Amino acid sequence: MELILLPLLFGIVSFFIPGRWGRISSLLFAAISLVAVTVKLFYFQPDVKEYFVNNTGTYVLGMTFNMAIDGLGILMLGLSNLVIFLVALSNFNREEASKPSFNGLLFLMQFGLNGVFAAEDGILFYMFWELTLIPVFLMLYWYGAKENHKNLLTFFLYTLFGSLFMLLAILAWGAYTPSYDYNKLMYAAVPSQYVCWIFTGFLLAFAVKIPLFPFHTWQPPTYSTAPMAGTMLLSAIMLKMALFGMIKWMIPLSYSALKFWQLPVIILGIIGILYGAVIALRENNMRKVFAFASISHLGLIAAGIMIFSFDALMGSIVQMVNHSLIAVGLFLCADIATNRFGTSDLQQMGGLAKVAPRFGFWFAVTVLIALSVPLTAGFIGEFLLIKAVFEYQAVFGILAALTLVLGAVYMIRAYQMSSMGAPKITNVADLHWNEMLVLALVAVLAIFLGLYPNGIISLVKPSIQHMLENVQDTTNLIK
Amino acid sequence: MDAVVVIFVTGLISLFLGMYHKPMLALTSNLLGLSTAFTLFFLYGTYNSVLKSHFFSLVYDGTGVLLSLLSILMTAMVLIMGYTSQAQDRNSYADLTSLMMFSLTGALCLIGFRDFFMFFIGLEILSIPVYVLVGSRRGNRASAEAALKYFFTGSFATAILLFGIALVFGATGSFNINEIGFAILSGLYTPELMIPGALMILAALLFKVGAFPFHFWTADVYEGSSKPVLAFMSTTVKIAGLFALVQLMGTIFGNLKGNWEVILYVVIIVTLFLGYLSAIQQKSLKRLLAYSGISNTGIALLSILSGADHGSRNIVIFLLAYGASALILLVVAQFAQDEEKDIEELKGIGYRSPVLGVALLIALLSLSGIPPFSGFFGKLLLIQDVLVDHPVLSICAVLSSVIGAYVYIKLLLHFFDKESTLKDVRINVASIIVISVASLLLIGGWFILYI
Repeated sequence: MELILLPLLFGIVSFFIPGRWGRISSLLFAAISLVAVTVKLFYFQPDVKEYFVNNTGTYVLGMTFNMAIDGLGILMLGLSNLVIFLVALSNFNREEASKPSFNGLLFLMQFGLNGVFAAEDGILFYMFWELTLIPVFLMLYWYGAKENHKNLLTFFLYTLFGSLFMLLAILAWGAYTPSYDYNKLMYAAVPSQYVCWIFTGFLLAFAVKIPLFPFHTWQPPTYSTAPMAGTMLLSAIMLKMALFGMIKWMIPLSYSALKFWQLPVIILGIIGILYGAVIALRENNMRKVFAFASISHLGLIAAGIMIFSFDALMGSIVQMVNHSLIAVGLFLCADIATNRFGTSDLQQMGGLAKVAPRFGFWFAVTVLIALSVPLTAGFIGEFLLIKAVFEYQAVFGILAALTLVLGAVYMIRAYQMSSMGAPKITNVADLHWNEMLVLALVAVLAIFLGLYPNGIISLVKPSIQHMLENVQDTTNLIK
Repeated sequence: MDAVVVIFVTGLISLFLGMYHKPMLALTSNLLGLSTAFTLFFLYGTYNSVLKSHFFSLVYDGTGVLLSLLSILMTAMVLIMGYTSQAQDRNSYADLTSLMMFSLTGALCLIGFRDFFMFFIGLEILSIPVYVLVGSRRGNRASAEAALKYFFTGSFATAILLFGIALVFGATGSFNINEIGFAILSGLYTPELMIPGALMILAALLFKVGAFPFHFWTADVYEGSSKPVLAFMSTTVKIAGLFALVQLMGTIFGNLKGNWEVILYVVIIVTLFLGYLSAIQQKSLKRLLAYSGISNTGIALLSILSGADHGSRNIVIFLLAYGASALILLVVAQFAQDEEKDIEELKGIGYRSPVLGVALLIALLSLSGIPPFSGFFGKLLLIQDVLVDHPVLSICAVLSSVIGAYVYIKLLLHFFDKESTLKDVRINVASIIVISVASLLLIGGWFILYI
């Protein structure tokens, strides 16, 4: 429970901490919650569900406020706390970090995220889901670029539009059970003709958030005008909420509709992979390159989740963790390059590695991780995912595997245009220690998970297996 | 009943206190009366009050007590809010408060009525002071126009209502709601009289709450009236009118569903979208509130379809959230000079004054239906109950919420703009009281689900 409530406390306290203490306090708070979750992680029993709140009685309107974590939950909690820590650390030398409102919003965001990953009640899940939207929205608004009002409205309405349909889906599901408790929802006897609609409701919310191919239009403009912390939060952890929601909520609850939606969503995912990669190849705005790269990576993960076999899910989860790490790393590098050159246009960049060698080195390492070279977590994840897609349909597997090739091209192109060639700028500050620490942490974790993926796999294995068995049970029950 | 009497007497007293030209005196006596009434209602909610409450066929069940408490609280806040804004016209403050108290008396009758006699009297006591209140800005042409418009259209609606009541009486031979309900249930009525009567009552009440196709008066009337009066209209008047409508349609005419359900469907769907679509282009906060109020009415009307008990319970939190948000917006609107284009003038007010900013944030997010504010729970309850039986309506409600979110979030971005032309914003104590009570209601109001 302290994992959920600590960030709320930190968030409220941060609003009242004066500016000069702000950056130290935010780093400290982030470190405290990271340590708390790490301790929990070490003593965690992956095969039991640990309840924070467990109301079994009947409650007003079926809202039980139950919260619990299993292996997948604790992994996502750990990931969200890690990302918040990395965001706080990478902002340490920036002026945002000394603004009370910025730090407050950061921890309120963490509160919402932790809640999403621990919620065991449909309405509570939705509440936390929307709760994450407000802090990030305000952060983008107050600390983002001046011209971003229109993008922000698009972003907000798009996500609200999607999530309201998820709310309808949860409500419809809950109409057939006494409460919105996860286990009750799991065994609800929903008439089979509604299940497909309910799946669609969930899918709309998650497809907008991920974003899947036709729903992605909010993403690149939002990313390119958002402040660095906002972009990191959006791509590193908010998108994972949607993927997590697919694994934990959408598919197990409405499993019998999976076969209807499986093929369309996988096709959309594959289109997303190719589309994102091709646009990233031609794009000259550095942040947008990484935004489209993100669409490309996430298309593959979404396709893997929709296959919903054990291997595919493992691959998706490993790749989710990996994508969080590289998103933090890449957007930090993009922001540093943008700051140093004063523009995010790749055409006007060049030679940064010569004048800032430490940046050049760590940017190269991050790019290599993003390319999923062997020995990094991305290799394991993409390998499992592509294998699963290939087994599902060989043509899709081949198309999905193009992500490796195209990824190499656009990543290296971005690196080459910004860091190689004749320096177009002199006298730049090299990496600050905190930025270097972030990039080093990202690299160490990615390589560690690449060498020892079992760390993740053994953690989530029991809960995924349980979920797969459960899903079979409930579908048999309905039939 | 005793609480209703207390409020009426307080209104009379403040009418006489008007002689002294001391607004503070009037405010104090009114607040005293309101808090006495509040306590009496509160006691009635827990155990029976001192005076017998079955009197003149006024009966308050759990929801009725909650809504009465809510409307008394809202009226108190409107009085406090009006205290500062009437600064240039201090002499008439006491008169206006007494009118509001009379209107509140009518609202309480409308919440607790058990026969059509009390219903009609309540509706008239509620409406007639409001006609006067709307025209209370002396020397203002818009105000006079609004009052006249409201009066004519309102009396037309009253006439239709009376005709409807007469027809229902003719069909069943009774004014009593329970008897009429029983007659409908057992089929002992004349359908040729009953159905037109019920539809006429429905039409008149749709006029009172400002739903399509009887919504035309809202924008002009809202624009013409002063801000406290507008606050009163979007809180107490709306609460009473909607509750009466839900009670009548849900309970006694609920068994005639086949005859009015299609009409209500169309009304709700058009109302849902029409309000927000018209609100997008508005330049004045009053008109924006008028149009967004139409759409909010549309969502509240969903409660008719979810049956008697549920419907009236569900509507409480929604009305609470809507009223509190409207209060906050109107308090903020008081900081602008030019009423025609006050949205433009208020650019960046939330950034200039953090107190107003936090309140605006809460109010607008709650109106957009973002958790964990009361507005979310209000909509949640209303949609939850109609979802399975009327999926189309609930999807329409959700879509209209998205359009509404567009309106509100655009407003929010505008209010939080860093480039502000406002000079320093001075907040007085009265505004702070209203804003903080309303914000508390928005944050924690939904806990009344748990009592």
